[in-house]
Amino acid sequence: MKKILITGLIAGCILFILSYGGLFLGIRFFPGLFVAYNNPLFNSDGSRDVLFYLHAFIISFALSWFWDRFKSMFKGSFIMRGLEFGFVYAMIALLPVMWISFSSLDITVVMVVSWFLYGLAQAIVAGLVFAKINP
Amino acid sequence: MRYRNILLVILLILSFTGFSMKNNAETKRWVVSQNSSLSVNGSTNINTFSCVIPAYDKTDTITVKSKTDKSVMLSGSIDLSVNSFDCHNSGMTKQLQKTLNEKQFPVLHIRFLSLSSLPAMTRNPEPVTGLVDIEIAGVNKQLEINYQISQDEANVIHLLGSSDLNFTDFKLIPPRKLGGMIKTKDQLNVVFHLKMKTI
Repeated sequence: MKKILITGLIAGCILFILSYGGLFLGIRFFPGLFVAYNNPLFNSDGSRDVLFYLHAFIISFALSWFWDRFKSMFKGSFIMRGLEFGFVYAMIALLPVMWISFSSLDITVVMVVSWFLYGLAQAIVAGLVFAKINP
Repeated sequence: MRYRNILLVILLILSFTGFSMKNNAETKRWVVSQNSSLSVNGSTNINTFSCVIPAYDKTDTITVKSKTDKSVMLSGSIDLSVNSFDCHNSGMTKQLQKTLNEKQFPVLHIRFLSLSSLPAMTRNPEPVTGLVDIEIAGVNKQLEINYQISQDEANVIHLLGSSDLNFTDFKLIPPRKLGGMIKTKDQLNVVFHLKMKTI
């Protein structure tokens, strides 16, 4: 349990920097991709900002538990294990959620595809961290 | 006989004063036509937006009372439905309506109070300033507006006004998204173009 929490925390810190840093740079250099977020569908009063920034840690702890439970199934070098872990997460969790999100919410294809790729990248980074420090 | 003369003098003075007062305060009425429009221009850190009410859907009257010191008193207002805004992007339109608290305050009011002067109406726009009282989301604020006023060949009076205002002046919170990474700037520029006819 301690191992899960420690690896989750380390992955959370790395994902926090990469995710929000990447988002910041994305908004700065590709602002057109983010215009659609000016929509009441997305929280606009700042009341959920803490929850938004905690996401990196929520996903890291969840993936850390998942890694610890199923790590024996991922074979090969740490890079291959990290990539496969990210891909498995994307297929099992992200794809169905993106599917239902797009079919039920007034959001664009670009938005859904970017969320899928963002989640896939997060899971691959987390997988690489887990494969390295909790092989 | 003496009292009769005094009474006559008083009546004469009163009647002259009455006439002169009538001459000093000329009153006109302007009917706002349905082709009038209003736009709200603003920006976020990633884009600019322009939300328009392209055609005013009512016929309101503004009373124009000229005073001796060239200033002009106005009375009358226009009531704009927040639901009529079009930001050329459905998400932005919904966002503006939400920010302006459309459900609770579906109408915003512009009350015309005064003009610094009423220039001779020509086809060339003349600059004037004036005061209006704007009510958005239940909060009133008096603003000085810079106008351009002109009259075209069809005798339509064009009153083009613009002013800067802030969301926070009306106790509204400028929207912010993705943990504050996308922020709407507080300042807005409101431009309205009233087309009116004298009656």
